[in-house]
Amino acid sequence: MKKISFYDQISKNKRDSVLLGVVVFFILISLVYIISSIFSPSLSLLFTIFAVIFMIVYTYGTYNYGDKVVLAATNAMPVGEDKRYTKLIDVVEELSIASGLPKPKIYVIKSDEINAFATGKDPNHASIAVTTGLLENLNRDEIQGVIGHEMSHIRNYDIRFATFIAVFVGLVAILSNILMRSFFWGGTREDRKDRNLGILIIVGLILAIIAPILVRLVQLAISRRREFAADAGSVELTRYPEGLASALEKILKINQGKMKVSEAVSHLFISDPNKSPLDNLFATHPPLKERIKILRSM
Amino acid sequence: MAFEFLTFGLGFVVLIIIGIIVYYINKIRVLSNRIDNAWAQIDVQLKKRADLVPNLVETVRGYAKHEKDAIRMVTQARENMLKAGNIKERMKAEGELTKALKTIFAIAENYQNLKANENFKLLQEQLESIENKVAYARQFYNDSVLNFNNTITTIPGMWFTGIAGKKEKREFFEATETEKKPVEVKF
Repeated sequence: MKKISFYDQISKNKRDSVLLGVVVFFILISLVYIISSIFSPSLSLLFTIFAVIFMIVYTYGTYNYGDKVVLAATNAMPVGEDKRYTKLIDVVEELSIASGLPKPKIYVIKSDEINAFATGKDPNHASIAVTTGLLENLNRDEIQGVIGHEMSHIRNYDIRFATFIAVFVGLVAILSNILMRSFFWGGTREDRKDRNLGILIIVGLILAIIAPILVRLVQLAISRRREFAADAGSVELTRYPEGLASALEKILKINQGKMKVSEAVSHLFISDPNKSPLDNLFATHPPLKERIKILRSM
Repeated sequence: MAFEFLTFGLGFVVLIIIGIIVYYINKIRVLSNRIDNAWAQIDVQLKKRADLVPNLVETVRGYAKHEKDAIRMVTQARENMLKAGNIKERMKAEGELTKALKTIFAIAENYQNLKANENFKLLQEQLESIENKVAYARQFYNDSVLNFNNTITTIPGMWFTGIAGKKEKREFFEATETEKKPVEVKF
């Protein structure tokens, strides 16, 4: 494995986040401009100005409240001082001491599967969420390994880029949904036949262009490089590779990929919440077996 | 014209040099502060640990009165830890306390009622966590020292140690004697 300096990873993530924001900003504004100039050329300028204002607000909102959106979308509940979660709270405190980062906020998701993710804009505004299944199935060392992995995502600013992607992908998904719906809605009227054809072509084109970009973006967010770096970071903190390795092994054994969370946030999780970890076809996450092997060779 | 161009260029170079100096002074100071912070964190955790001990002793006494030796050992180790003048001595005493606590938890295995006590279970978890926190705080301390020492002994950091007022290399935390030896627990 190539040696990765986490300082390089941090600056790469900050750069990628800005780039992503700018690219999505211009793609959406040009989309609005193209669509509005086809359907109502007289109002296209108005629509575009509206889109620019909307995107400025939306980008600002994504930066500052993206984590809240993600936590709400996954039904994550804050643990507070709940006695049932003492061990989890302790482990998070331990690893924030080990990494020298402020203690992130802690959330729990009700699910039988073993999973976890981190989100936020930077280490000072970070949150970690784990499933109840994780707490039931993993022992202390294994939980430490997983939390160490998430703390490394926080330190490396992976959380900023991944959260940006979640919220922007969500927006694009909603917009393409609206487009598709307006196409079907328009389809019920006879006198709109010509227009429908136009919409059909445009929607088809837009989806054809956007879909691969989206898939690529999501893959970028969970690139092998980021996951392996976080695994290595976890070992750097806990100095105990077997903890994380055995946690990943349990994920491989127990998880079915039935958490049913939005595709827009699935890349944040340590293991794909919507797919069985054994299913390698169309997998966006790096294979667990490979990660376990690397951890065991450390 | 040529003169203006020269002063402008010179001013630019001076600005860049000032920028670099400020950057390295700040970097060295920040790294040094991080060490002090890590040091303080170790102390915070050691004190928290000492605070939990009386509570544990009370709980154990309630169920296992006869284990006077083990209880005395823990109380003694805690007192030594609080008496210690500096963190290094305190860490040494902390090793003793860790050993004494391990004995207590081993003894507790023989007392079903004690083992099942909610308060005892909570204390056990808290003490285990603090033990980890002490270890992690020390690990972070050593990482910070390594980072600082690397910066002030390599180019270009070493050129700025004088201006930053941080010429001395910092000391690593070494494992105490008690920690180096494996702790034996007899059942």
